[in-house]
Amino acid sequence: MLGTKLSGKVIQNINSTFTGGGVAEILNRMIPLLQQLGVDARWSVIKGDDEFFSVTKKFHNALHGRAEEITERDYAIFQDTGKKNIAETEIYGDIIFVHDPQPIMLVNRKQEIGKKWIWRCHIDVSHANEAVWSFLEPYINKYDSAVFSSPSFSRVLPIRQFLVAPSIDPLSDKNKELPQAMIDSVMAKYGIPNDKPIITQVSRFDYLKDPVGVIEAFKIVKRNMDCCLVLAGGTATDDPEGEKVLAEVREKANNDPDIHILLLPPNSDIEINALQRASTIILQKSLREGFALTVSEALWKAKPVVASAVGGIPLQVKNKFTGLLSYGIEGTAFDLRQLLSNPEYAKWLGTNGREHVRYNFLITRHIKDYMLMFLAQEHSQEMVYL
Amino acid sequence: MNVIFEWLSENWLAVAVPLAVFLATLIAVFWLRAYSFRVLNRWISQAAWPASKILVESTRVPSALWCLFISAGLAISVSKIPSGWKNPINNGMWTLLLISITLTLLNIIGNLITHFSPKLKIPDNLTIVIRNGSRVIILLIAILVLLGIWNVPTAPVLLLIAVIIVVGILALRDIFPNIIAGFQINAAGHIKKGDYVKLGTGEEGYIIEMNWRTTDIRTLEENTVILPNSHLVRSSIINYGHPLKQAQEPFRFYTRVHLTELTGMKARSLRELVDILRTSSDAIVYFHTHHFLEQHHFLTPEPSSDFALWVTEAMGDEALGERLASVDTFSFFDLKSLRDRLVGIIDESLARTTENREAMPGREFYFMKSVVMILPTPYVAHDLRGLAECLRQLSLGSIYFHIFESRLRLGKGLNDFTVWLRDNLGENELGEEISRLDPYTYTLEGLRSQLIQMIEKRIK
Repeated sequence: MLGTKLSGKVIQNINSTFTGGGVAEILNRMIPLLQQLGVDARWSVIKGDDEFFSVTKKFHNALHGRAEEITERDYAIFQDTGKKNIAETEIYGDIIFVHDPQPIMLVNRKQEIGKKWIWRCHIDVSHANEAVWSFLEPYINKYDSAVFSSPSFSRVLPIRQFLVAPSIDPLSDKNKELPQAMIDSVMAKYGIPNDKPIITQVSRFDYLKDPVGVIEAFKIVKRNMDCCLVLAGGTATDDPEGEKVLAEVREKANNDPDIHILLLPPNSDIEINALQRASTIILQKSLREGFALTVSEALWKAKPVVASAVGGIPLQVKNKFTGLLSYGIEGTAFDLRQLLSNPEYAKWLGTNGREHVRYNFLITRHIKDYMLMFLAQEHSQEMVYL
Repeated sequence: MNVIFEWLSENWLAVAVPLAVFLATLIAVFWLRAYSFRVLNRWISQAAWPASKILVESTRVPSALWCLFISAGLAISVSKIPSGWKNPINNGMWTLLLISITLTLLNIIGNLITHFSPKLKIPDNLTIVIRNGSRVIILLIAILVLLGIWNVPTAPVLLLIAVIIVVGILALRDIFPNIIAGFQINAAGHIKKGDYVKLGTGEEGYIIEMNWRTTDIRTLEENTVILPNSHLVRSSIINYGHPLKQAQEPFRFYTRVHLTELTGMKARSLRELVDILRTSSDAIVYFHTHHFLEQHHFLTPEPSSDFALWVTEAMGDEALGERLASVDTFSFFDLKSLRDRLVGIIDESLARTTENREAMPGREFYFMKSVVMILPTPYVAHDLRGLAECLRQLSLGSIYFHIFESRLRLGKGLNDFTVWLRDNLGENELGEEISRLDPYTYTLEGLRSQLIQMIEKRIK
């Protein structure tokens, strides 16, 4: 029904690439689904050379809160390419849905062509570099609306802001149901025993995911309970820090046979799915997070989750309802022991978690939110009879 | 004139004999007719068969004509009219008799069908078909007999009739089972117009039309489902019974979907929380007192507001969290009073302490509100049965809208069901009962079950 309310409107998505990266992946899934619902969603990309994209990579990191040295020349490169794209990009939508900072300057055409303009921020800007944010803010303020993935990413802005949390696709390799034989074969492949409880954290080897803290919490738990730990993830090929973190993790594990460190290659979605399904508890002891969809992935598999209250995790884990939130190593260990000792409670949390994801973090909700947001562009009221 | 008298004097026997036969036969057949009617009248007065009167009344006048025709026919037979004249006259006489008998039979059959159709609960359309079918059969037989009287060969006509019958059967082979099923349904009388039925095959609704071939059902979405009668007799049917009192205006169900709007405002401490809350819009107050319920409606209900959760978890103030969680949202009829109560509790707590604790970074309270889009659904209830069945099928979003949103956010002070039951059905008691139901103590599925139970109890 929402689709019919949007009929006749062209939704033009604009980002920087058709392939690679999270935004392209989301749009590749979203656009066909929106079209099937009768929404005329289309997709354009801007152009840019390597220099431009290296600047936008810096912007991206800076907005994530990482220390980046951004020079006046970087800003000039960004603006020059932005101006070229303003001149060259065909704007044909009734609603122009711009993703992330790379095409943000296109909004300068708003005065000329009108239409509704939305800026979708896929980045955790809760600790954004103020200089970069201040540079982007005048452009953001020209949009009709901005969209963020978590309340903590929002700021006081003169335009409307909407919350559209990311989502998981329950039919993707990472989340679909797997036959027990396949789960068993993955566990056998990595030599993980099935005769004791398994605690798993799936995340890349990065200090912000605190894999060393995970091992420390596990060692506290192991004093009283027989269980094993799986740390599964990859390292970014261009991230020298990843190798360092992995080395530290291995050192901390000290060849403990109950600690399984799995360096997974890209496209290991089925393996990750199997590991999550075979686990007794899923851990996400991050120090900083964007949204942390791995939590929704675990909850969708009805697994009890212990996670840090950072980034988008509190949206997914309501403490003591859909999982347990912890703040430190001891707290994490305490929560793990609670769940290992009380399987019924763990099961209840897992069941609640799955329902929570079913209603709030599946791709269907994501699409509904987008359609509502497109409709909201025509209605400024808080209650709208369609 | 003289010629006639002359002819009569010479041939008086040729006239007298047929005349005598005519008169004698006439007297005999009239006597027989009178006797038959006496017997029939006696039988009518004794017999319980209601159609006997139809038989007698329909044959009273034509039978007099039959007497005349029979007498005339016999008289002509014995007369000395030349055979070239005699046979056509004789055949003509039998033809008149046949026409009269045919008309009488048509009349009798028509009256019998009209008389028995309502008693056998045969639908009007089917009655017309049976009546016309009977007429065709009688006319066909009459035509065949007529052809026999006039010595016309009947084989081609019989062949034509056989072909028509075969073609008819082939053409109507799908319709016959439905007609037979229609008979069965009507004769059994298990369902009737106005009943609310649910079929084993999934269709359900009110029966709005039953004819000789199909039964029409109006679904809760106001669609009409046309079911072949043969489908109906093959399926298991739950009949919820006779129509209930119809509402003056039907209840049209709406549903709602919402999108979260961020305000960008956040609080790190209780002081900041209460300062922002004091001047917050109703939409923000509503969001943070209902958001948990909406997002976690599958859980065992915990009437937690976001304020209570945040104060407990991020500020570590369990006592204040408990006080905020125990605010009885149901006792408030508008959001301003609810906000004042929440602000009052936090102010009281702040007055007792000089400590200004702050939440950890990332655990601040973020103020939000929801943009609600209200959409019509195809579901419409005209009576209590319809209301219960719609509630069974509706999305939780619809139930949420009519119970929570309309009461507090739209500021009606009452849920929509109570208002409709009271104003359109005169069901004040049931409406009151629903208005007293505290929806905040149920999960939305639990609330759905509770509402259905209350309505079904009232129907019984």
